[in-house]
Amino acid sequence: MRDLKHLGYLEDLLQEANNELIQKAKRDGRVCIASVCENIPEPLLNLGNAFSVRLTAPNTGSMDIATYYMTGLLCETSRALLERAIEGGFNFADGVVSPDGCTMINRCVENMELLQTMGKGNEHFFIEFMEIPLKGDDNGVGLLVKQCANHILKPLKENYGIDTSDAAIRQAVGVHNHVCELIREIGDFRKEEYPRITGYEFHILTLATYVCPKDLLIPILEETLEEVRNREPEPAKARARVMVVGSEGDDSGFIKLIEECGAFVCADRFCFGSLPGRNPISLNDDEDALTQVCAHYTYSCQCPRMMNMAKVYGRKQYVAELAKEYNADGILYDQIKFCDPWAYERMLGSYMLREDYGYPVLSVDRPYNIKSSAGQMRTRVQAFVESIELKKLQGGAK
Amino acid sequence: MKLIFKILKIFCIVYSVLFAVFYFDLDGKLLYYVYEPLMCKHYDNIEGRRNIIDVPYDMEEKY
Amino acid sequence: MAEERMTKMSLAEKLGYRKGDFTKFLKYIADDPKKAAHDFVYGKEHGERRLGDLYIQPTGLYRHREWRGIKDTFYYFNKIWCYNYGMMVADILSSEQPLTFFKGLWRYRWLGQTYIPVLHWFDRGLEGLRGPALRGSAWHYRGMVHATIEQFMRMFARDLRFHDGKETDLWKKTVIHNETVSGSIFYPFWDNGLVDIPLEMIPYFVTCHVNSNTVLHYIDAIQALGLPSDPCPMCQAESGVGIMDDYPDSAPCFVTSNEACDASVATSVIQDWFLNRPLFPMPQPMRYDDPLVQKRCQEEIEECWKFVEEQTGVPFSWDSFKKYAELQNEQLYFEREKWEVAANTSSYPINGVAQALYRIYYSQYGWNSTWKLLDSRVRKIMEDCVANNINTFPKTRHRVIAWSCAPLYYSNWCTWAYNCWGLNTIMNMDSLMFNKEIRTDTYEHALEDLSWYNELAPMRTMAVGGHEHVFQLWEYMEKFNCDMVMMYDQLQCKGMQGIHGMFEDEFRRRGVHAIWFPHALPDKRTVSRHEIRDCISNYMIDVMHEEPLDPSLLDFDDDLTW
Repeated sequence: MRDLKHLGYLEDLLQEANNELIQKAKRDGRVCIASVCENIPEPLLNLGNAFSVRLTAPNTGSMDIATYYMTGLLCETSRALLERAIEGGFNFADGVVSPDGCTMINRCVENMELLQTMGKGNEHFFIEFMEIPLKGDDNGVGLLVKQCANHILKPLKENYGIDTSDAAIRQAVGVHNHVCELIREIGDFRKEEYPRITGYEFHILTLATYVCPKDLLIPILEETLEEVRNREPEPAKARARVMVVGSEGDDSGFIKLIEECGAFVCADRFCFGSLPGRNPISLNDDEDALTQVCAHYTYSCQCPRMMNMAKVYGRKQYVAELAKEYNADGILYDQIKFCDPWAYERMLGSYMLREDYGYPVLSVDRPYNIKSSAGQMRTRVQAFVESIELKKLQGGAK
Repeated sequence: MKLIFKILKIFCIVYSVLFAVFYFDLDGKLLYYVYEPLMCKHYDNIEGRRNIIDVPYDMEEKY
Repeated sequence: MAEERMTKMSLAEKLGYRKGDFTKFLKYIADDPKKAAHDFVYGKEHGERRLGDLYIQPTGLYRHREWRGIKDTFYYFNKIWCYNYGMMVADILSSEQPLTFFKGLWRYRWLGQTYIPVLHWFDRGLEGLRGPALRGSAWHYRGMVHATIEQFMRMFARDLRFHDGKETDLWKKTVIHNETVSGSIFYPFWDNGLVDIPLEMIPYFVTCHVNSNTVLHYIDAIQALGLPSDPCPMCQAESGVGIMDDYPDSAPCFVTSNEACDASVATSVIQDWFLNRPLFPMPQPMRYDDPLVQKRCQEEIEECWKFVEEQTGVPFSWDSFKKYAELQNEQLYFEREKWEVAANTSSYPINGVAQALYRIYYSQYGWNSTWKLLDSRVRKIMEDCVANNINTFPKTRHRVIAWSCAPLYYSNWCTWAYNCWGLNTIMNMDSLMFNKEIRTDTYEHALEDLSWYNELAPMRTMAVGGHEHVFQLWEYMEKFNCDMVMMYDQLQCKGMQGIHGMFEDEFRRRGVHAIWFPHALPDKRTVSRHEIRDCISNYMIDVMHEEPLDPSLLDFDDDLTW
C-alpha cells in the first residue's frame, strides 16, 4: 500500500515523550497536564488552554535507577516512567493527575513526587492523587464526579485559572469527540476483508492522540482519513486477523512485530488503544457535563481493576463482541511484565475466550520495550499465526 | 482404698507415658513421618473433585 | 539438598538419636553435679541452652522438647501441651456437628495436613520462653486454635458436600466472605442467627503458619492455569484453593473486597468463577484519607447489608450491631493498654509472634467470647508483671519494630531472633491496623466509624493510600522506643516494593538500623528460612559487631520443617 503521508512524521513524534507538538503548545503558553492511566477522564484535562498528555517512555533502555526505587518485580511501565522522570524527561508537565488505579502506577507517581522529578521552576506545578471507582455503578459515578471536581477541576482553576465550567467541559468533549470520531472512522477500515490501513499504522495514529495535544492532530487525522478512504488495499489477505487485548500498549514496535509475523492486528482493546479509549462521549442537556463524562468513563471502562460482576463478565463479552465485529481469527492477550491486574485478567480471559467463545488465544507477557525480547515474541506469534492458518485450512470452526 | 491406689497407679503410668511422648516429641515424629505422608498420598488421589476448568464461567447475572 | 539428606538418615537419626549425645549428657552431670541439679530445677541460662542442638535437621522436629526447669517444663506439659490437645478435642465435640470433623479431615488437605500437627506450631513460637512470657504468649495461641476449630467446624456443619447437597437451614443463614473483609461488617446480623465465615482464613492463612507445606499445592495449582508467579502469593494461594476445589460449600452467597491490593480484586474474580453464586464486591477506597471517599465507602457497606438480607433472609439489627461493636471497642481498649505496656516497660509478657498473630486474627475475625476470656487471663499476667517489675525478656539487646507484610511461613522468626540475638520484637506494622473504636450513639456515627475501621485493615492501613502511611514507621519507632527495624521485604508485594528505594534512602538519612528481611509471604521456596536467618545474622555480625546469645542457632537446616 502507498505510505501514509503523515506516518513518518507521527512516528518521529512518538520517539520522544516531549515531542514537537507538546513543545509547540507549551511555546503557545498552554498548560500541559500529564496523566498515567486510562481511567482519568481525558476531556477534563483538556479544558481551556490545557492539554492532556499520557506519559510514555519511548525507547526505554535501562531502568536501573527506577529499579532501585521500585525493585525489579514492579511492572515495567511504572519503572520506565519513573526512570524517564528521574532523567528529566517529563519536565514539560505542568501538572500530573494520577489515580490510585493500580498500586504500581500509584507508587511510580509517588516516587516522582518524592524525588521531585518534575515541576522545577514552576510554582503552579501540582500532583494530584485521585480515588477512582472499583465498580461500574451509580455509586462509582458519584465517587468519580467528586474526585474529578476536587482533584482535576479545582487545581486547574486554582493553579492556572482555567475555566472549568460546564460549558468549558462540553467544549472539550466536543474536541475530544471529533478526534475519537476520526480515529474510529479510520479504525473501521480494519474490518474490511482487505483493510486499507495496517494495525501498526492505526496504532501510530491512535497513540499520537494520547501523547500529543489532540487539537493539533485534527488536521493530520482528517487528511489521513481522506487518504485511507482512497487508498488501494494490499492485494493479499493477511494470514491471520488478530485482535490484541491487554494492558499498556504504547509500544508500536509490538504491533509491528505481530504484523511482521504475517498477522493483521484488526482490533486494539488495550490501554492506549481505540477500543474503548476512543469511543465518543455522548452528552445530553439534561445533566451536567461532568457527571456525564464520569459516567461514560465509569461504565465504558475495561480496566481489570473493576470488580463488580457486570464488569467482570462484561470485559470478556466485550472482547468477544469486538472479535466478531472486526472479524478476528484469533486473540492475543498480552500484559506488561509484572502487571498484577492483567496477570489475572489474561489468565481468565484467555481461558474463557478459548473455551466459551472458541477463539484461538495466545497469551503472552512482554517487556515494556519489545526490543528486549523481540526474538522470543516473534517465535510465539509466528507459531500462533501458523496455528490459525492450519485451523482455517482444516476448516476448523471458531 | 485399693481402688484409689489402683486409679493413682494408672494415672501415674498414663501421665508418665504422656510426658515421655511430650518430652521426646513422639507426637511430632509420628505425625511427621507417618501421618502426614499417608494423608498427603490420600489427598493427592481424592476423587470427585470438581474440575474447575469444566465449570462454565456463567455469563448471566446471578442476582 | 534437604530431601537427599533425609533419605540418608537412619531411623534412629530420624527419631533424634545422635551418637555421643548420651555420653555428653553424662559428662555434663559428672563435671558439675551442683550446676546440673540447678539447671534441672531452674532450667539453663539463656546462653547455655543450645536450642539449635535440639533440632533433627532438616525436619525441624525435636530430639526432645526443651527442658525449661521443673516449673516451666511442667507448665508447658500440663497447661499447654495436654491442655491444648484436650481442649481441641473438647472444641470439636462441643461444635454443632462433631462428626463432620472426620469428613473434613478426610476431604480437605488444608485440615488434615495442617492442623493435626498444630502443637508443633506452639513449640516453634514458644521456644526459649520462660515464666510470664511463656504463659501469656501461650494463651494467645490457645485463642487462635479455638477460633480456628470453631470456624472449620462451622464450615463443615454447613458444607453441602457433607449433607448430600441439601441446602440446610444452617447453610441458608450463612455468608462467606474474603478473609480480608472484617467480621465486624456482619455484627448487625449476628443476633438474628447469621453466621459469617471468612472463606480463606482457615484453608489458607492459618495453614501457612502451622504447616508451610500445605499452601504450596494451592500456589502451584493457580500457576498451572497460566498465572505468572509474580503477583502476591497470598492471592495466588486464595485462588488456588478454589482451583483445587478445596473450599467447603458453606453458604449461598459471598462478599468480596479489594483489600488489600490489586491482586485481591483479581482473586475475587477467580473466586466468582468457581464459587458460582451471588457475589457482592465491597471495595474499600485506596486513598482512604480523602474525606471525599468516606460516603462512598459507607454506601458500599449499606449495600452489602442489603445484599446479606436479600440472600439469607436474616434481618439487620441495630441492637446487634451496637452490642458487638461495643464489645469490640472494649477489646481495642485492652489492646491499647498492652501497647502502652509494650512501649514503656520491659514487662510485656507476649512475644512478637504471639502478639502479631493474635492481633491480626481476632481483629479480622470479629468479636468472640473466647477473646474476652483469654484477654482476662493475659491481663492478669500482664498486671502482675508490671506490678512486680518483672523483665519478661531479660536478654533483650535491641527493641525491634517489624514493618511491612510479615512472612507467614516463618512467623516465629522473632522467637529465633530473640533466642539467638536478643532482638525483641515489640511491635509490628499489621498489629497497628483496625485501631479505631466504633461510636454507637447514632447509626450515622457507627456507620462512619465502621467504614473507617474497615479502611484501616491489615496491610492496607500502611501499605496503600499514600506513602505517608507507610512512613509512619518513624513515629511508631519513637512511640514504642525501638532502636531497630526489621523491614519485611515481601518480594511480591507491589505496594511495598514500590516504596523500597525511598525506605533505603530514609534509613540511611536517619541512621536507622534496619535489616531487610526478604520473603514471599506463604511461599517458603522463594526465600528459605535459612536465608532469612542469614540476612539477620550477617547484619548483626557485620554491622552491629555482636556475638550471638546462642551460637547453636546460627546455622541449622530446617528446610523440611512444618
